[in-house]
Amino acid sequence: MAQATVDVQHAEHDVHEHHGPQGVLKYLWSTDHKVIAMQYLFTGMFMAVVGGFMAYVFRMQLAFPGSSVPGFGIVSPGEYNALVTNHGTIMIFWVAMPVLIAAFGNFLIPLMIGADDMVFPRINRLSFQVFFLSALVILGSLFVEGGGFGGAWTAYPPLSAQGMYNQTPLGATLWLIGVALEFVAFLLGGINFITTLMNARAPGMKAYDVPLVCWMIVIASILFMLSVGPLIAGAVMLLFDQTLGTGFYDPAAGGDPILWQHLFWFFGHPEVYVVLLPAIGITIDIVATFARKKVFGYKLMLYTTVATGVLSFFVWAHHQFISGIDPRMANVFMVTTLLISVPIAELMFVIIATLYGGSIRLTTPMLWALAFIAEFLIGGVTGIFLGASGADIYFHDTYFVLAHFHYTFFPIAIIGTFAALTYWFPKMFGKMMSDTMGKIHFWGTIIPFNVIFIPLFVLGMGGQHRRIYNYQHFPDLAGADFQLLRVIATIALLTMLAFQLVFFFNFLHSLLWGEKAPKNPWNANTLEWTTESPPPHGNWPPDQMPKVYRGPYEYGRPDREPDFWPQDEPA
Amino acid sequence: MSDNHHVNYKRVYLWLLALLVVSVAGPFIGILSVTLITAFGIAVVKANLVIQNFMHLRWEKTLAKWVLITSLALMALFVAGVAPDVMRHEGQNWVNVAAADAVERGVVDEHAREEELAEEETDVAVAEPGVFDAVGQFNLICAMCHGSAGDGMGAAGLALDPRPADFTDPAFWETRDDQRVKTAIRDGGVAVGASALMAPWGALYDDAQLDALVEYVRSFGPTGQ
Amino acid sequence: MFVKPIATTRSATGIPTGRLAVWWLLASEVVIFGGLLGSYIMHRMGHPEWAEAAVHTNTWFGAFNTFVLLTSSFTAVLAHQAAESGQGKKAAKYLLLTMGGALAFLLVKSVEWTIEISHGYTITANTFWSFYYTAAGLHGLHVIAGAIIMGFVAADAWRGKELQRVELIGIYWHFVDLVWIFLFPLLYIAK
Repeated sequence: MAQATVDVQHAEHDVHEHHGPQGVLKYLWSTDHKVIAMQYLFTGMFMAVVGGFMAYVFRMQLAFPGSSVPGFGIVSPGEYNALVTNHGTIMIFWVAMPVLIAAFGNFLIPLMIGADDMVFPRINRLSFQVFFLSALVILGSLFVEGGGFGGAWTAYPPLSAQGMYNQTPLGATLWLIGVALEFVAFLLGGINFITTLMNARAPGMKAYDVPLVCWMIVIASILFMLSVGPLIAGAVMLLFDQTLGTGFYDPAAGGDPILWQHLFWFFGHPEVYVVLLPAIGITIDIVATFARKKVFGYKLMLYTTVATGVLSFFVWAHHQFISGIDPRMANVFMVTTLLISVPIAELMFVIIATLYGGSIRLTTPMLWALAFIAEFLIGGVTGIFLGASGADIYFHDTYFVLAHFHYTFFPIAIIGTFAALTYWFPKMFGKMMSDTMGKIHFWGTIIPFNVIFIPLFVLGMGGQHRRIYNYQHFPDLAGADFQLLRVIATIALLTMLAFQLVFFFNFLHSLLWGEKAPKNPWNANTLEWTTESPPPHGNWPPDQMPKVYRGPYEYGRPDREPDFWPQDEPA
Repeated sequence: MSDNHHVNYKRVYLWLLALLVVSVAGPFIGILSVTLITAFGIAVVKANLVIQNFMHLRWEKTLAKWVLITSLALMALFVAGVAPDVMRHEGQNWVNVAAADAVERGVVDEHAREEELAEEETDVAVAEPGVFDAVGQFNLICAMCHGSAGDGMGAAGLALDPRPADFTDPAFWETRDDQRVKTAIRDGGVAVGASALMAPWGALYDDAQLDALVEYVRSFGPTGQ
Repeated sequence: MFVKPIATTRSATGIPTGRLAVWWLLASEVVIFGGLLGSYIMHRMGHPEWAEAAVHTNTWFGAFNTFVLLTSSFTAVLAHQAAESGQGKKAAKYLLLTMGGALAFLLVKSVEWTIEISHGYTITANTFWSFYYTAAGLHGLHVIAGAIIMGFVAADAWRGKELQRVELIGIYWHFVDLVWIFLFPLLYIAK
């Protein structure tokens, strides 16, 4: 105890000595990876609230077309398009990526590999600042003349390229600039994650002693860095099409609109795995801790992840089966798309095999991790239909596609985040979260989630096109039974949003009045649990930096009395 | 690498300059295949000299080489996947008509094509000062719902409820004046208490252009006044 | 005062952290330029009529700029050599020469573009010219960024600090040179 007090004082002393800015500036201008992780986390949570509000508005419009939405008013067609477009953009680029990769990557990587900070702390700070600027730009784009950009998050030209089609030249340009700035932020952050993990591991920590979640975040960063380049080039070309009037994507001027689709999806498909891999990593770490069992096949998992990453570059054109691409290429991409379900299924089997025979503890984080497996499987299996080009011709741009990718992205971005947040909350904030409220929130999120999207599968199979503002305009599509499904989905969404209040209450209540967290509340092995909760600046006293003696998942060994064996404990 | 690599940088530099001279001289021979070899073959040789000797990749750990090779291989993959659509204009059961036309026009007479393009640009230009084309804009934007004859029979308008306004209907004009039509175009149907399906288009047109549009819309009416 | 974390002193891969980061940075740059030039190559091969437009680029401007960049790469590597032997002032002088090369490159480029634009070959004249200005412009931005960063590195090196950064900015500069080595035949020689 006395030792702990000394450590804290030492840490505060460090802060005074190394960090000029004091007070509030200490948090805004800090280079500490934990502070930057919090900045990403809270920005991401704020953007999630914005994205959730958009979902509420357009779901209300779909269920009760033409009526005034409480808190928004009457939704015009242009506003509807802007809402769905920015809902998609914000949820992927400003919620899933900053929270899963940037917030947890920043928080976990240095702690888990026993380093005191990232190797480039100031680039890390710059990364968040650019990201914050990009968030301001995308939010600003909603309020310019003509409204937000409404050409879908994929921004296909000519809808995105020409003001006379998208009706909001300024909104479209700001949208594009916001997305490009966000890419820059994540390139800066990604270089940091990769080099930190590769070079700054604690003494004794070999490549196979790194917790899988760190590997997953780093592999995701590598995927992002290698796939985003063509889209950055494409975004510059699109920007010139919008502002200067060039014809890169205009066939009349010798350009080609299909080129944008290729540039976009060459990035867009690996992007799915960019956000998926951290979520799988979070899940496997939580499952190993709460099943009290060693991960089934650490190397198998790592190699499978690399294989997934490589394969993810070979599948992009399955988004374009009906765009008029060469049918022979469609055949090739169909085969690779179906192939990639093999490594992903393997990852799922590894997690399930880790559960098998474990002594499972159903804490809140464990519930979220299990829910991730179950819900993501539904998303993955329905993807098989869309990957087959014959079926995709029918399903393309229906609610089936929409339900499919929400069954993948919701487990990734929402379930994965809640799993990580409830698991690492004691370490991040030094307080325990209420388990009861956590479980209420869990069931209040999972059940409505399924009630939202299962009806949308049915709508999609009924041929309901997904980009329609008001189905009453299309008598063939506006049957009473279809409308009933839409109303059910909307009411389930309202229920789910209401249950998020439980989370925010739990978050604030635990933060302010929660029970103080011990160093290692879950009896876990990895290095972040060997320091204080929350960790001081520098994570460990400089003369007590941890050394690593074994892998991260030595749980439940029959030859040892406590059922865990921390990585830094000498043999 | 802080170890000493005894590279004669000056010699490498002179080699690079010599290769530059060859690549510039290549096209003067006038044979296409020779030009391509002197241009791109030499570029690869030059790049290799710079990478190995100036960037010291020759002495770098294997990891760095893999990083760079992977990024290059991905670009090859990108081109291989995209070329069947973007580079070629004909495939199995499909033709890229626009691109093929562009090639045809360009090969026949490059300059005629440029003029033609310039003409097309003035036809569809949105904000060309002084030559705002109200008819063209009506046909491009409004006619989708209101029909190019202004009778509310546009393809996208057929299924709408309430139906798009029929400008040829005398009853319609009894309750309308220019200001109201202008407000409806600029701020949408909601602004004048009409259907929310009439979108606001104010971001596209300035005041004078709106007046021109109103004038054209009015010309569908019974008296044309 | 900013103090480097302990993490920066470690090197599990055997590559110094700064240089490892530069290699990753270059990989991400390769895909940016690769996407743009790949698109250009595909369009160029699909549109034989662009040869008509490409005739109007001036090979001599391109060749001179290639010469300038090769020379500046040479001085950058000499700066690295000086920094390795601990001669900070000498390294800074060579870096200044390299920055001079960047300036010369940009001056030639602006003269060239002024002439072309005054002849009506603007970015919207034809999609060949769109690619021409976009590719060269993106490369030009890298030249400017490299020259600015080089100024900071040279100022540090003059005081004998952070000499390892001379090599890092050098590697980046060679990459900028490499991009031009490929832009030169793509935009100027192949007519």
